[in-house]
Amino acid sequence: MGRMISILVVALAVVFGVNWFLDSFIDTYVVRVVNLCGISIILAVSLNVINGLCGQFSLGHAGFMAIGAYVSAYFTTTLRYFDEAQAKYVSVEPLLGGQWGFVPALIAGGLAAAVAGAVVGIPTLRLKGDYLAIATLGFGEIVTIMITNFEKIGGANGLPGLPAYSSTFWIYAFVVVVVMFSWYLQRSTFGRALIAIRENELAAEVMGIPASRMKVMAFIYGAFFAGIAGGLLGHLLQTISPATFNFMKSIEVVVMLVLGGLGSMTGAIVGAIVLTALPEALRDVESGIGLPGVRMVVYSLVLILLMIFRPQGVFGQKELSLKLLGRLIPGRRAKDSGGEE
Amino acid sequence: MRQALTLLIALGAVLALSLTACKKEENSAGTSGVTDDTVKIGLFVSTTGAYATFGTDTKNGVDLAVEEINATGGIKGKKIDLKFQDTASKPEEGGSAAEKLATQENVLVAMGAVASGISLSAAPVFQRSGIPMVSPSSTNPTVTQQGDQIFRICFLDDFQGASCAVFARKDLKKEKAAILMNQDDAYSTGLAKFFKAKFEALGGTIVKEESFKKDTSEFNTQITNIKNAAPDIIFVPAYYNDVALIGKQFRSQGVDVPLLGGDGWESGKLIPNAGPGTLDGCYFGNHYSQADDREVVKNFVANYKKKYGEAPSSLAALGYDDVYVVKKAIENAGAFDRAKIREALAGLKDFEGVTGKFSIDENRNARKPISMLKIEGEKFNLVRQIQPEEVE
Repeated sequence: MGRMISILVVALAVVFGVNWFLDSFIDTYVVRVVNLCGISIILAVSLNVINGLCGQFSLGHAGFMAIGAYVSAYFTTTLRYFDEAQAKYVSVEPLLGGQWGFVPALIAGGLAAAVAGAVVGIPTLRLKGDYLAIATLGFGEIVTIMITNFEKIGGANGLPGLPAYSSTFWIYAFVVVVVMFSWYLQRSTFGRALIAIRENELAAEVMGIPASRMKVMAFIYGAFFAGIAGGLLGHLLQTISPATFNFMKSIEVVVMLVLGGLGSMTGAIVGAIVLTALPEALRDVESGIGLPGVRMVVYSLVLILLMIFRPQGVFGQKELSLKLLGRLIPGRRAKDSGGEE
Repeated sequence: MRQALTLLIALGAVLALSLTACKKEENSAGTSGVTDDTVKIGLFVSTTGAYATFGTDTKNGVDLAVEEINATGGIKGKKIDLKFQDTASKPEEGGSAAEKLATQENVLVAMGAVASGISLSAAPVFQRSGIPMVSPSSTNPTVTQQGDQIFRICFLDDFQGASCAVFARKDLKKEKAAILMNQDDAYSTGLAKFFKAKFEALGGTIVKEESFKKDTSEFNTQITNIKNAAPDIIFVPAYYNDVALIGKQFRSQGVDVPLLGGDGWESGKLIPNAGPGTLDGCYFGNHYSQADDREVVKNFVANYKKKYGEAPSSLAALGYDDVYVVKKAIENAGAFDRAKIREALAGLKDFEGVTGKFSIDENRNARKPISMLKIEGEKFNLVRQIQPEEVE
C-alpha cells in the first residue's frame, strides 16, 4: 500500500511537471490534442475492464460519459433556463464554484455514472454477447433522449458555458489513477476472476466465482471512470450536448480497444492515443493535398489495413513488455526512493 | 509494480520529448495572420460526418467569395489566404480545429461553424485568443453569448417563427392555424413556440397542436385531428424530408389548406420527394430567394451555378455573405487589427448581402429580413421580405 502511494506521488509529480512544461513552452493546439488523448485513455482503459478483461461487450460507454458530464456540470456551471411558471429566464448558481469544486464535481459525476452502471448492469448482464451489446446501446440512447427532453439542462440545444477547468494536470492525474487501478486490478483476485469469466463463464461459476456479481462490479468500475472522463471532456470543450454523447462515441472507444488489442491495457492506451491523435496529425496532410475529406479516408484506411493484417489488435491480449524499457533507464531505483521523500 | 512506475515515467518522458519539437509561438499584437500581400482567414465547418452536406455547401459559398475577392484586388490590397479545417461533425473537433486556426495558423478572423454544437466548442477558444469569430449559420441563441468576439450573420429561430405568424396573419389573413411539429427537435419545437405566441398576439387562434416523433413516416392520426379542427393554415416547422411526407398525406386526406414552414423546407429534394403539385400554394420562410432581383443576388446565383453546376442553397449564400462581412469589417476597421475589426463587426450597419440588407445588433446577432417564398410548380417564388421591425 505504501508502495502504491509512493508511485502515485511520483506519477503525479511527473504529471505536474509535464503540465508546467506544456503550459510554458507548447502551443495550445498541441496541448489540446494531448488533453483529448488523456481523456481517450481514461475511456479506453476503463472500457477495457468491461469489454477486454471481463469479455462483456458493452456499447453504453457514451451514456455513462453523458451522465458524468451533466452531473459534474450541474455542480460547476451556472444554469440558465426559461421558467414557465415565472415566465422569465432564471439563473441557478453552481453548488461547487471555483477550481476547488472541480474534483468533487467530477467524482460526483463518476459516482452518478457508477450508480447508473449498477442499475443497468444488474438486469442486463444476464444477457450475453450481441444481446448485451444491444441492451447497453439502448441504455446510451435512453440517456441522450432523457437529456434532450430535459429543458433545465439545455435540452437538445445542450449546455454551454462550462468553466475551463480541465487542465492537463487534472486529466492526466485521472489517467494515472485509472491506469494504476486497472493495473493492480488485472493482477488481483478480482481481475483473475473477470478473466476466468471471459474465458468460460460456466467453468468460472463451477470454480466458485459469482459471475453475475463480478460482471456488475466490472460494469460499475468502468462506468465510474467513463463518468469522470465525460466530466473532463465537458470542462475541456466548455459545452456539452446530447449529440456529443451519441452511440458513435461508444463505438469510437470500442474501436480504440480493438485496435490496441482487446484485453490489453497498454494496448488500450496506445489505441486511444493513436485514434485521437491520428485525425489531428492528418490535418496537415489534408491541407497539404488540398482535398477536403482525405483525412477521414486515410484514417479509415489505417483501421481497415490494421484489421486485415493484425485482427487481434496491435498487442493482442499481451501487455507491452517493459523489461527492456526498464533496463534503458539507469538509476530507476534511485528515482523510486526519491518519490518517497 | 516497478513496471507500472516505469510505464508512467516512460509515458511522461515520451510525451515531453515528442513535444519539444513544437515551439510555442507567442501571439504578437493584434495584427497576426497578415503578410505583405496576404491575410489569413480561417474557416471551420464539417465537410465529413453527419453535417457534411451543410458544411460543403457553406464551404462552396465561401470559396466562391474568396475567389471573387482575390480576383478583384483582395482586401485593402491583400489577397485572402483561406485556412480551412474540417470539424468532422464532432464538438471535440470543433475545439481542436479552433485551436489549430488560433495558434498554429494564427488567423486574423475565423468563420464557422454551421452546427451550433461545434460553434459552441470553438467559441471559447477564439474568445480566449481575442480572435473575432463570425458564424454563418449557427442558430442556437447561446452561441453569441459566449463572448464579445463571437458574431453571427443568420437570423434566429424566434424571429423566424414570429415572422411566419406575421405573414400568416397579416399577408394571408388567416384566422385559425394548426401546428404539426417534431417533438424531438429543438428547431421544430422552438419555431412552433414562437409562431404560436405571435399568432395569438395578433388575434388569431391556434385550433390544434399536434406533434410527431423523429423518424416517423405515418402522420394520419395527427392529420385526422387537424382536419377535424378545420384550420385555414397549417404550420409545419420541420425539415424537407418530413415535410414531403406530411404534404402528401394531408393532400391524400383531402386537406387542401396551405402549409407554412421555415428554412428547414429548403432543399432541391422537397418537390421531387413530395411529388409534383402536392405543395403548390404552400409557403416557407428562408434566408434568401434565388428569384430576388437585386444585383448582388443575381451575380451570386449566376456565378455559383457556373462554378458548381447547381443552384446555391441558403447555407452557401450565408457562407458567401460571411466572407464579404469579414471583408467589410476589415475595410471599416481601416487596419488589419483584431480589436479594431471586432469593433467594426459590432458596429456593422446596412450591409448589403445576398441574404438581405442587415446590421449587427448589440447582442452580436444579425438583424435582417426573412424572405417568404411561395411554392409554385418547381419554383420557390419570393412573395416578400419581412423586416425585423414588423415582427417586434
